[in-house]
Amino acid sequence: MLGLLHAVIVGILFGTGTYMVLQRSPIRLILGLGLLSHGVNLLLFGAGQLRRGLPPIIADKATFHGEIAAFVDPLPQALILTAIVISFGITAFIVVLVNRRNTIVRGEDESLPGDPFALQPLSAQVAAIVEDDYEYLEYTLVDEYRQRGKRTQSEQEADSA
Amino acid sequence: MSLNPNWLVAPIVLPLIAAALGLVFSRWGYRQGAQIQRLIALLAVTGNLLVALLLLSVTIGQNERVVYQMGLWPAPYGITIVADGLSAIMLTLTAILAAAIVPYAMGTLDQRERMNFYPLLLFLLMGVNGAFLSGDLFNLYVFFEVLLMASFVLLTLGGQQAQINSGIRYVVLNLMASIIFLSAAGLAYGTMGTLNMAHLAQRIDKVPPAIGALLAGLLLIAYSSKAGLFPLFFWLPASYHTPHPAITAFFGGLLTKVGIYTLFRIFPLIFPTYLVAWQPLILTIAGFTMLTGVFGAMSVGTLRRVLSFHVISQVGYMVMGLGLAATGNPVLASFAMAAGILYLVHHMIVKTALLMAGGAAELEMGSGILASNQLNGLVGRRPLLAVIFFVAAFSLAGIPPSSGFISKLGLLQSALTGSHWWIAAVSLVVSVLTLMSMVRLWQNAFTGHATQPIYPTAPLTNRERRWLTLGPIAVLVLLSLSIGLFSGPVFQWSTVAATQVLDRAGYIADVAPTDVIEMVTHE
Repeated sequence: MLGLLHAVIVGILFGTGTYMVLQRSPIRLILGLGLLSHGVNLLLFGAGQLRRGLPPIIADKATFHGEIAAFVDPLPQALILTAIVISFGITAFIVVLVNRRNTIVRGEDESLPGDPFALQPLSAQVAAIVEDDYEYLEYTLVDEYRQRGKRTQSEQEADSA
Repeated sequence: MSLNPNWLVAPIVLPLIAAALGLVFSRWGYRQGAQIQRLIALLAVTGNLLVALLLLSVTIGQNERVVYQMGLWPAPYGITIVADGLSAIMLTLTAILAAAIVPYAMGTLDQRERMNFYPLLLFLLMGVNGAFLSGDLFNLYVFFEVLLMASFVLLTLGGQQAQINSGIRYVVLNLMASIIFLSAAGLAYGTMGTLNMAHLAQRIDKVPPAIGALLAGLLLIAYSSKAGLFPLFFWLPASYHTPHPAITAFFGGLLTKVGIYTLFRIFPLIFPTYLVAWQPLILTIAGFTMLTGVFGAMSVGTLRRVLSFHVISQVGYMVMGLGLAATGNPVLASFAMAAGILYLVHHMIVKTALLMAGGAAELEMGSGILASNQLNGLVGRRPLLAVIFFVAAFSLAGIPPSSGFISKLGLLQSALTGSHWWIAAVSLVVSVLTLMSMVRLWQNAFTGHATQPIYPTAPLTNRERRWLTLGPIAVLVLLSLSIGLFSGPVFQWSTVAATQVLDRAGYIADVAPTDVIEMVTHE
């Protein structure tokens, strides 16, 4: 029974996660990826068999005569821990990427109408602060190609003038 | 002489220590930090190359596997690290590519050099080396994630708009593939109670065929997506042309090949029955991958995008080697596998050289657009670069005496011997189309009259940067030519590696998993 419930929950997490990833809104993409990684973590948890048992600690090896099968398998928890750390790191990275894209491509909003997380156009004041911030941090790399375009443009203007 | 197995840790630990050390110096002034990181990176990749050559001499030269059980825990309970011929070949190639990329980056890189480029490159190197050495499924996953994390940051290093947009696609699709991989690992542990590859190979016969097929299918999907196979390749041409050329070259030469390596490792070892049963599927995937790659290359209009589509097309050839090896005939299987491995060797060297040369051409002219006369006339202006590009391009197309000719010949021969006529035909057609595409690149980018000025920050204008840029490419191209000329011994080495890969019993015996706890069977 527990196994069936577990399987259904994993299935729901995978289904909703996949649905969310397929949406166009970046915030849903992030949430969907979070749900998918939760689904996998739960699946790994189920790999260790869902049952009651002893904690996997042998106090004294010499006097131990018990059944190994009486213990609960500790390995899936170690696996989940690793997987959580990795998916957390990647999710944080995607959040930064999406945020960075939103500050570059202002106004080019891909969220659906009525989306509460929809990107609001920045006010001129805030936009100026963001711009300054990035210049201060050397965050904006000089785009060589764009630079070149500008230079030729200004040269052309100089020529025509 | 049998090698001390502790050496196996060196290709993982050495880049890690060097990268951490490099990060320590990252705040040392505006330029000095990058200078010290350069030095550290050069030392680390040289050391890595030496260790890889040592492992190559043991595994290929003496035809043995080196197995290291961490902390002397017996096999399925501890972490197992295994180097056999294929691992050693991949390690050596990776080390060669890293040793070529570091000077190239020193010659061509812009401000991104000061954004911790070298430590990131070393983290990537650590992940790739770990993936090649890993002896169990979960560590393979972890090292995949290490290399992906490093590659995410390298891909978006600099934070330009195109990089960010392509970076999101790249990250999301690779994360999906990782999730599929991880669920396969969870299912394997749930059904077979182990993650050690040798132990899995022992126990795969005890699970119902449906579960085995599910596992094999999930892993095939996950690795195909990482390797850029049809129909899961679309993240690759969307992202590979956006970062700096040095990064594109390293990715194009290396990352998809990690996926191919895992296919070469997992399928013959754990799923030999499915490999044979699914031979038509694998060959179909290979055929479509080759065709879509080359058609894509003929339809796009910038230099590095053409070359990234060729990465896909070439990956198809390697999978063709795997598909042809899926036969009951051991002689034919090892010949096809050896041809696939030789193709891998050829491709990694030539593709990186080509992407480096193409990237240098783009940096010279400040643009990669083929059509609008942005890029022509490089033959007269940069003759050395043109010659190098020419040789690399024709090696990729498979003109003798280059390494491309030998490796394609091997694949074709095994396809004809196994009477797989249509895949042979597809590979020949794709070869011709590759040649056409290379001629198009040559005509649009190198010949003709120069109409545009050389770009102000071009790497080849400065004498020192010229040598740093062209030297590594020239070495890689010469390596490709020498593989073509001395193809006898090289093919022999890949045959040794191929027989080791196909030798399941030997792998299991060398890793020697103990079976203390019985597998729980669900009825």
